Amino acid sequence: MATSEPKPSDVEEPQPEIPEPPSSESYIKHPLQNRWALWYFKNDKSKSWTENLRLISKFDTVEDFWALYNHIQQPSKLGFGCDYCLFKDGIKPMWEDDRNKLGGRWLMTLNKQQRHNDLDRYWMETLLCLVGESFDESSEDVCGAVVNVRPKGDKIGIWTSNCQNRDAIMTIGTGYKERLSLPSKPTMSYQSHDDTSSKSGSTTKNMYSV
Amino acid sequence: MTTNTNKSCPIPTKILTLKDWSQLPDCYSQTPGGTLFSTTPGGTRIIYDRKFLLECRNSPIAKTPPCCLPQIPGVTVPATHPIGKLQDLKEEMEDEEKDLADDNQFEMDI
Repeated sequence: MATSEPKPSDVEEPQPEIPEPPSSESYIKHPLQNRWALWYFKNDKSKSWTENLRLISKFDTVEDFWALYNHIQQPSKLGFGCDYCLFKDGIKPMWEDDRNKLGGRWLMTLNKQQRHNDLDRYWMETLLCLVGESFDESSEDVCGAVVNVRPKGDKIGIWTSNCQNRDAIMTIGTGYKERLSLPSKPTMSYQSHDDTSSKSGSTTKNMYSV
Repeated sequence: MTTNTNKSCPIPTKILTLKDWSQLPDCYSQTPGGTLFSTTPGGTRIIYDRKFLLECRNSPIAKTPPCCLPQIPGVTVPATHPIGKLQDLKEEMEDEEKDLADDNQFEMDI
């Protein structure tokens, strides 16, 4: 009989648990489906439009997204004429980009009071919709999102790649409105970039509404 | 059997719920159950719901400022931050220098 054989009591005895490193999971980075680039636009009339557009940072994990978000100013604290743009890496935040030029945007117009009440919350929800890929397959159609801080009223838009892709656009619009818990009225509308760039704001045709 | 050549068919998708992070592939370009979503039928899209994303907001990594951010007063550094002021000052001086250079190319006061 081998002396090293464990006694039954040894087997029954619960093994002391090996303590996990306390925060090992909190250092894991969670990959995103896409790499995203955050841009900042400042309206300086002495410079050209493209000179005023600056890349702040790119990220491709949930944690790096928050690290950036937690350390930059909220939209409501930006100066008038400033924008933030979050776009998929490789797509420039301008109509002229190949992946934007056939597209358009779901546009939400805020009134002046909403700058303090809603703007920052809406912008954060918009960012979460994008990085979390909230629109199922239609997320493929999303190019990015823009927040414009303007004296007359701020705007947030989700840009998509093709204004003829009705199904994807409607999925995105419906899902987006739900996420923001917007009331059914007023409606939110979708406009093609082509129309927006060639016409003044009030005559821009609404291609879709939710 | 019918074939329909006029209608395109979306790439089929499926939803996998991971029980453990070890189930994620090692490579960021891969997704569980497939490789690249856009090219591999049956591949998965990495989707995070609102609740999960918000839970990650206070992770230690998310509390660390990202490195190499450009110094933009009022955006990445406070508008009143010394670096912000320095940046403004630097830009002002550069502008002045430009003006000087344009106006008095050969005159220098030292």
